Amino acid sequence: MYNLGQYIPRQSPVHNRDPRVKLIGVVVLGIIILQMNITGLLAVTALFLVISLIARIPVSSLLNSLRPVLPFFFFLFLVYVFFTPGHPLPWFSFGPVKISYEGLQLGIIQISKFLLLVVAASLLTMTTTPSEITMGLERLLRPLRFIGISSYNVALLVSLALRFIPMLLDEMNSIKEAQLARGANVNQRRISGKIKSITNLAVPLSINILRRCDDLVDAMESRGYHPGPRTYLYELALTRTDYGLIATLTGLLIVFLIYHP
Amino acid sequence: MNQTTRSHSQLRRMVYAAMFGALTAIGSLIVIPMQPVPITLQTLFTSLAGVLLGGSAAALSQVVYVLLGIIGLPVFAGGKAGLGILFGPTGGYLIGFIVGAYIIGKITEARQEPSLVWITMALVVGNLVIYTVGVTQLSLVAHLSVIKALLVGVVPFLFGDLIKLVAAVLIAFKLRNTFKL
Repeated sequence: MYNLGQYIPRQSPVHNRDPRVKLIGVVVLGIIILQMNITGLLAVTALFLVISLIARIPVSSLLNSLRPVLPFFFFLFLVYVFFTPGHPLPWFSFGPVKISYEGLQLGIIQISKFLLLVVAASLLTMTTTPSEITMGLERLLRPLRFIGISSYNVALLVSLALRFIPMLLDEMNSIKEAQLARGANVNQRRISGKIKSITNLAVPLSINILRRCDDLVDAMESRGYHPGPRTYLYELALTRTDYGLIATLTGLLIVFLIYHP
Repeated sequence: MNQTTRSHSQLRRMVYAAMFGALTAIGSLIVIPMQPVPITLQTLFTSLAGVLLGGSAAALSQVVYVLLGIIGLPVFAGGKAGLGILFGPTGGYLIGFIVGAYIIGKITEARQEPSLVWITMALVVGNLVIYTVGVTQLSLVAHLSVIKALLVGVVPFLFGDLIKLVAAVLIAFKLRNTFKL
């Protein structure tokens, strides 16, 4: 009913990789992409196209995932174009407003970097289910126990929150309907009205949800829940390919850090 | 007996943190039309988590929120998702939510019975922290000067954030007695 994730189920070598490998891949590529020049960016674009081909993910759905970021990136692009000093382009000057060649170049390179970052992350979330990513993160975050954070607990909270979201949407809809039925005006135009409509939604939502949380705590307590190491129904296991990929990624990062200090 | 109650309240704190992570995620889907940019309720719940849960649980709730986005739910502002956003120009705000919620919680916790003024102060400081972290990453990642980063990353949102701040103070005050951890 609430299909919030971006996962596209397929049988492919990309889907079958261990979530940890894919997470490390996104992080490493993320670091590298932000420092790249135009040739590097084209190479990464080609790499992503190959990955999406192997994963049998249509390029159109990758482009779709870029849609939400476009308004802000476009705004940022305009800032680069109009506020970068440099040689003005002759055919683009309207009085005091000038577009510089440097600005246009900088804008295109920067925005492509940001778009590629989003594509990298989308490739991860389209080929990996949310619960797999949570498991992968839990394993990768285990060293955090040295600063007193239990990754088991963090993973549990993420799964709980995933479970809460549809519940919250239901709750929110019923509060809205109840208020509409009593003749509430939801499209307040005045500032005080807007504040009031925010309060009128958030207060009952929080109180109702609080009750559900307390029930959940009781249920967990009475089943003997205790925080700490747990076992899983399906344990993650790295294959030889996975180790190879991790080694390649680490090598790539080291080489890159040496040549781009 | 004493120990059971303590572990009980620790678990309760964790479950509330998960819930506020989910609420923050839902908040980003609630859009209130406004000029110049429409506001979403996500930072409202960041602030509320700070006031109601206290420092560490509030920070935990925002970690959960950011992780929900990383695993692919479109819960970052404007329906965005993924690790790319965290590394990208606007990722500083996400880190700012974690730090901001922690600081709001710590300031609120410093008083036994925080007054309206004290809570308002905590929220103002928290919001400034979110802006600072956000603008820092924006100007570093996007190679913008601080002035330009402020122009892109703070100015359009000031008015909406002010409204959310007033709403957060009112809601926090109404809920404070219900939330006894």
